[in-house]
Amino acid sequence: MAVDIKFILNDKPVELQVEAQEILVDTLRERLGLTGTKKACGTGDCGACTVLVDGEAVRSCILLTASVDGKKVLTIEGLGTVENPHPIQQAFVDAGAVQCGYCTPGMVLTAKALLDKCPNPTTEQIKEALAGNLCRCTGYTKIIKAVKAAAKKN
Amino acid sequence: MKKGLRIVGRSVARAEALAKATGRARYTSDFKRGDMLVAKALWAKYPHALIKSIDTSAAEQLAGVAAVMTAKDLPGRNGYGIMVPDKPVIADGKTRYEGDPVALVAAVTEEIATKALELIKVEYEVLTAYDDPREAMKDDAVLIHPNHPAADKGNLLTVVKLDRGDVEKAFREADIVIENYYETPMVEHCYLEPDICIAEPDDLTGGLHLICAQQAVYATKRCLAPVFNLPHHKVRVSSPIVGGGFGGKEDSSLDVAAVAGVLALKTKKTVCFELTREEVFRTTGKRHATYIKHRMAATKEGKITAVDVETVLNKGAYTSMGGLREPAHAVTMRTAAYAAGVYAVASAKARSYSVFTNTPYSCAFRGFGVPQAIFAVECQIDELARRLNMDPIELRRKNILRDGDHTIYGQVMKESRGLGLEECMDKVRDSIGWDKPLAQSAGPVKRGRGFAVFMYGTGIPLLFEGASCFAVLNNDATLNVNIASTEMGQGVMTVMAQMAAEALGLNYEDVLVSFSDTGRAPDSGPTVGSRSTVMVGNAVLDACRQLKDRLLAFAAKPFKADPRDLAIEGGKIFVVGKPETAESLAALIAKAYASQVPLAATGVWYPPQPSFRAEDGQGEPMHAYAFGAHAIEISVDTETGVITVDRSVFACDVGKAINPAAVEGQMEGGAAQGIGWGVMEEQVMENGVMQNAAFHNYMIPTIKDLPDLESIIVEHPNELGPFGSKGIGEPPIIPAAPAIRNAVWDALGIKMNAIPLTARTVLAEIQKNGKA
Repeated sequence: MAVDIKFILNDKPVELQVEAQEILVDTLRERLGLTGTKKACGTGDCGACTVLVDGEAVRSCILLTASVDGKKVLTIEGLGTVENPHPIQQAFVDAGAVQCGYCTPGMVLTAKALLDKCPNPTTEQIKEALAGNLCRCTGYTKIIKAVKAAAKKN
Repeated sequence: MKKGLRIVGRSVARAEALAKATGRARYTSDFKRGDMLVAKALWAKYPHALIKSIDTSAAEQLAGVAAVMTAKDLPGRNGYGIMVPDKPVIADGKTRYEGDPVALVAAVTEEIATKALELIKVEYEVLTAYDDPREAMKDDAVLIHPNHPAADKGNLLTVVKLDRGDVEKAFREADIVIENYYETPMVEHCYLEPDICIAEPDDLTGGLHLICAQQAVYATKRCLAPVFNLPHHKVRVSSPIVGGGFGGKEDSSLDVAAVAGVLALKTKKTVCFELTREEVFRTTGKRHATYIKHRMAATKEGKITAVDVETVLNKGAYTSMGGLREPAHAVTMRTAAYAAGVYAVASAKARSYSVFTNTPYSCAFRGFGVPQAIFAVECQIDELARRLNMDPIELRRKNILRDGDHTIYGQVMKESRGLGLEECMDKVRDSIGWDKPLAQSAGPVKRGRGFAVFMYGTGIPLLFEGASCFAVLNNDATLNVNIASTEMGQGVMTVMAQMAAEALGLNYEDVLVSFSDTGRAPDSGPTVGSRSTVMVGNAVLDACRQLKDRLLAFAAKPFKADPRDLAIEGGKIFVVGKPETAESLAALIAKAYASQVPLAATGVWYPPQPSFRAEDGQGEPMHAYAFGAHAIEISVDTETGVITVDRSVFACDVGKAINPAAVEGQMEGGAAQGIGWGVMEEQVMENGVMQNAAFHNYMIPTIKDLPDLESIIVEHPNELGPFGSKGIGEPPIIPAAPAIRNAVWDALGIKMNAIPLTARTVLAEIQKNGKA
């Protein structure tokens, strides 16, 4: 069954017809060419596909696209660019928190959702917020430093 | 070591980090297009079985299916592998693990491909499936590879033998003998980017282009050209940036590339084969599980006099990095070579048995067998310290290899190659406050502290060891460096650019490193074995030296100076000590270009030829070693068995940190993986079927499972490494697990010799010992 939906994607209105069972990560990557959102597990376990829906960090690999009808979706492409990066993105680069980079878009967006609600988080609050985002390269030490540095800059 | 370095030794930001943080960096999966065919594999229903019949007719007739292939439809050799071509592209008459494809499908959509798989009918005759190599090596076990070159030894693939000194005499005369049995689990690499290959037929050449996330583009070309029945020069292999590898994508990349490649040749269309996470768990390579009987002889003063070690490795279904013959034993060889760890031991006997089973094949995984060997040794020496009532760090200090000492495989240790272990031990000891006892509370939580050390040889003493690259100077005084190594997050683009800029006197921003493409670069060797900084770095320096020599020789005339008195720095060339003579380097290069001075060079480097004798495991397989010491503090909740790692202090001797932030990144990431290996990770197999093939039941450390990981960089330069460096990619995974095990013993007074130390196993031991 096809569904007509309207939503705001990275500050721009989008109108789409999607299949009812279509998953958001596939819509973003395959239909809209927004490949910054990564698909690493497909079961909602690793957080690499995290996007923000109305400011909440959600796993786009287990979210029906139709469910974002009427909502605001932010993907990594909408946060900042290479020329004009968001302070969180720059903080990840400066702290050496980016290695293979496959978890990075999801980490950065989860950190944004945290900092929007809690501008000066403690280490424990950062860990609580990022606990659903797996990283296999960094051991998370520099990721925590990056989030703290981004908080300080705000 | 060079003085006054401008770029080497600085933590410059990663070349590609901003593109990754903004989602602009493209990985293999991001190159998928809607017009590509989608490949799917029908995996073996039974991990060990004979295939009696396959009927693909219904699948072939499904609309949208472009090709269905079984073993009879392949264009070339139905076998490949890094060492031995014993892994079939498609199972032919027999399955050996649940990751064997029985049939392949290419279709216009994933849904149709999946539907086609459901229409394929296969009849099997099920055989006994082995998970445990100790069962598979019994005389009456069913042969997994009846026609293998090693089949005369049953399911035993290979035995590595190491003999040195008079072991029996040493044990007879020993004051104390420590004997234990250790077990380490099979684990999955858990790189976040699932394996993928896009295969494009090249109509211009009649060849094939494999775009494939991986660690070894030249090995892929060599291994798979016979599968495609193509000459090597018509197989181009490239890899975009890779979302983590850790050794796995030296092998699993062959699996996906073979499938995508044969389907692309069959359909004459571009084919994409991408694994799901579950398929990554069930079908790709793993770390060898090991079963280690370790005996250690010592004097009452605490001098280790001999080791006698028997290691059984789970090879899984195929040889991969298991090794069949000398000196290419890879993982198996290292479990014998490192059987005495970092210690100078006069007499040694080691036997390592690599045995086929019906689990996924065991392959390279960060550390190549050294973590398993060191786990046993570092547990043994801790027990020796307890028995002798000695401080475990001081006991280690008495025994570590020093300048002029021989390893148990006969390699002479050299200070000139950097021996920084003792400094690592001292720095960790001071930093963690080793001499201050841990505060204990009255409740159910007990605290403990453990220590472990390691050494790890830089590079891979396999069939050959060395590296090549291209370097091209442009007329605007920028430099292209083309290497075949992979950028998988370790920072090879960055450190190569740092070294090239330093060597040629360029700005860091003026060097661009292209990577992992057989169409663009000569063979730099695989991106494994902690080898790139040293091997490829030396090749890059070689190319830069040639270019610099040519430029300076050309400049001698206009500058009216001896080339040796000229210098290049920051885009200028000048007479040393006379800054007023400075001229634009770009202008000089433009003149050189017009004067027939060649501005491209091939850089090469080979370390001393490695050796490792088959008869007794003696030789000189390594040219330099990284070292490290790790102290870990833990809490154990005696009511739940849960271990919490409270503190981790880790020092590594890396020779020279080309980029200290990148080195810390390797140390922190390695420590995290080591902690995971020690307390939570395990691929659980039952009759060849994985029981926990998802991230919700296969646990790896989350941010909440780890403390702040403290890293201390120690630099004892290696005379053969560029700027004194040694390899540091893999070794940081090694010491965490034994340090945790030793900490658990400290906390609970209970000896546990099998990892992972999960809550369930710890609680069971607490209850067994009546210490709840």
